[in-house]
Amino acid sequence: MKLKFKRLRKRLITLLVISLLVFSLFGCGTEEAMDEQDVDLIDEAEEQVEVVRLEGGSDDGYPTPYAHYSRGPGAYKMNLIFDGLLERDEDGLVLWLAEDYEVSDDGRQYLFTIRNEVKWQDGEAMTAEDVKFTFEYSSEHPMVRTRVEPDEVEVEVKGDNQVLFTASEPNASLLYNLGRVPIIPKHIWEDVENPEDYLEEEAVIGTGPYRLADYSQEHGTYRFEAFEDFWGPRQNVKAIEFIPVSEDIMAFEQREIDLTRIGTDLLPRFEKQEGVEVVQRPAFWGYRLRFNMQDNAQLEDKELRQAISYALDLEDMVERDARGAGVPGSAGILPPDHVMYNPEVKNYGQNLDKAEELLVDLGYDQVNEDGIRYNEDGEKLCFDLFVRDSTIRLAEIMNEQLSELGINLSIRSEERQTHDNRLHNNDYQLIIHGGGGWGGDPDYLRERFMTSTDDEEYVDTQSLGYENQELNQLLEEQRYEVDQERREEIIFEIQELLAEDVPQIALYYPAGYTAYRADKYDGWMFMFDHHSLTHPKLSYLTRE
Amino acid sequence: MDFYPKVKSAVNYFKQFSLSGKLALIMILIILLIAIFAPCLSSHPHQRSSGSALTPPDGEHLLGTDDLGIDLWAQIANGARISLMVGFGTALLAALGGGILGIIAAYKGGLIDKILMRLIDIMMVMPDLPVMILLAAFFGPSLFNIILVLSLFSWIRPARVVRSQILMLKEQSYIKSAESYGASSWYLICKHFLPEVSPLLAVSIIRLSGRAIVAEAGLSFLGLGDPTSRSWGLIIHHALNFAGIYYTPFWRWWLLYPWLALTILIVSLAFIGRDLERIVDPRLGK
Repeated sequence: MKLKFKRLRKRLITLLVISLLVFSLFGCGTEEAMDEQDVDLIDEAEEQVEVVRLEGGSDDGYPTPYAHYSRGPGAYKMNLIFDGLLERDEDGLVLWLAEDYEVSDDGRQYLFTIRNEVKWQDGEAMTAEDVKFTFEYSSEHPMVRTRVEPDEVEVEVKGDNQVLFTASEPNASLLYNLGRVPIIPKHIWEDVENPEDYLEEEAVIGTGPYRLADYSQEHGTYRFEAFEDFWGPRQNVKAIEFIPVSEDIMAFEQREIDLTRIGTDLLPRFEKQEGVEVVQRPAFWGYRLRFNMQDNAQLEDKELRQAISYALDLEDMVERDARGAGVPGSAGILPPDHVMYNPEVKNYGQNLDKAEELLVDLGYDQVNEDGIRYNEDGEKLCFDLFVRDSTIRLAEIMNEQLSELGINLSIRSEERQTHDNRLHNNDYQLIIHGGGGWGGDPDYLRERFMTSTDDEEYVDTQSLGYENQELNQLLEEQRYEVDQERREEIIFEIQELLAEDVPQIALYYPAGYTAYRADKYDGWMFMFDHHSLTHPKLSYLTRE
Repeated sequence: MDFYPKVKSAVNYFKQFSLSGKLALIMILIILLIAIFAPCLSSHPHQRSSGSALTPPDGEHLLGTDDLGIDLWAQIANGARISLMVGFGTALLAALGGGILGIIAAYKGGLIDKILMRLIDIMMVMPDLPVMILLAAFFGPSLFNIILVLSLFSWIRPARVVRSQILMLKEQSYIKSAESYGASSWYLICKHFLPEVSPLLAVSIIRLSGRAIVAEAGLSFLGLGDPTSRSWGLIIHHALNFAGIYYTPFWRWWLLYPWLALTILIVSLAFIGRDLERIVDPRLGK
């Protein structure tokens, strides 16, 4: 009897330990009470928010125009410190460091009048000289995101506060690009030989609304503080902090961060929560499948790429990978939300019969015991597909869809830095590249699809081994076309060519949801061509 | 009948197990059977979707589906193969390798012993998880590499245990007399040392396999396993990567079942290890 008791007790203890484990793993975070003691952070008299905390924890580089990482989070952190001549709001370009600008009738000359009384964060005055210096210096040392190519423009200072840019050719996207170059102080940078390695405190002195107060590369944390002598609209937020969080949604629930991305399944939860606003992001970010046609003769066949396009069910990808929050890719690359999107472009849709027909015509008419298709030379349709570790599920969906057709993918996943290096070194057969900027000036099509030159600059974006003379010509033409209507026609035509050639496949543009604590801060805005609320500096400034 | 006594002694061994040990043995047996017959046990494939995404458990999908619509029961059943293979593969490799090194160190003594002992000291102070992550990242994600990397960090314990046992054994008179009759080292290792330390090694294997299974799940969870395999750690990894899974009902099957499977396996191994240790070393039994 006693023995039985002992055993029973033993079993009970075991059970208890297991259930304790269960609760310690799952109990936390499911239903936490709101932190009622959260101090009211809004200063009534000034109506300035003390601090807005955002998800950080991954290093985006030192926020100078030369040392930030090329992805959006790095570039836009730098943008809080450095101003351009123009800025972007909900509808388009707005004046920023430039007080005014004039474009000559032939579209080649841009005269910017620079604002007076703009101060650098070290107290020096900013002048037209600094603007001239920035353009000259950046044509010698290209910035991480170079917008204006060397020799594309000549810069001169006119009078006290005017700068004249003269382009060698009229150029449709030049105004946009000129306006976005971050202006750097001449008195700091003129003696810097290697701007990429210049990581001093002075390197982060700009004219922007925020100063870098703290940065830790190891922890991926940043703290930006409002610059008191900022020339422009008053900052609504005194400090912006990027802090590491283990789980962003949990951190949001616990009020550690003030804004987070949420999945479709969480909409009902956050939509009814008081003080929380939910907005859907515009679809200006996208996943695309890129082919390395240069090193893979098989991929050079247009029909194979078309067959892949026919085999993919992009709607299913949106449904499963993004839980429905996204827009299927357009074969013409430009997303449907883009101002120059061509709705008439060839729509592939999933059509396995058509795909098979194309492959059989190409000679891939035999299937081996593993279900892999091959031609009479024994060339199999097997490819390595590289993805970022966060994109594995999308790759698995793609693999499932392509395996129907007898195309086999080996999925290789890597973390962000390795993945980006691979993109840069063109070390892949197929790669899923997720990135932003799809809403920008359609001149990016030229960067992506114009026949590769030895130009270092576009090495990340070019389609390797792809060549279409007709397309090249159109891409060149649209660049110099200043008549908007005519340019739109050309861009429409370019999209049709791209849809036919399939040099890459736009998989889908995620249009997920962002939730933020409106009771703490609600000044968030989207720029007209960008997908993020936290990137624009106008999100943190007083608006009229 | 040579067979009968063996069964009888196996039954005798089984009788020596405590209740929890017996339960654990049965659980392991069940998991083993599930792993072996995985393809027959589930009507759905474990590599591709067979229903709509994230359906809760029902008659069609016993344990529901994950975000790609892949049947979870099929994944867990097939994942058992990976977990067991990694667990026992690593443990066998480490216990045998470590055991042999331990025997050599103890029997040969001298310089070999010194070098091996210093190597063990170094391995002991090395923080294993960070180094494992580094190695796994370096060798690239694959099941075989994971087994290799895990073994690299698991041979120390068996090596030390076996060495001390052999140090004691080699002073025994029957070993001495075998030596004086001209027995070679190899003969001694095979005929005397290995049989003597095999119970100890068995305990090590059980202990190590539990550790290895957790480590595999951990490495997979960190994204260092084969990204498309369906190991339990990877199912948990994908589930936890689903944004805000705790605020959705999905964790009740997508996260809970693989976790439960993992826990049952580990706890069972721990119970068996404890009982085995008691049986092998009678001093602990009292």
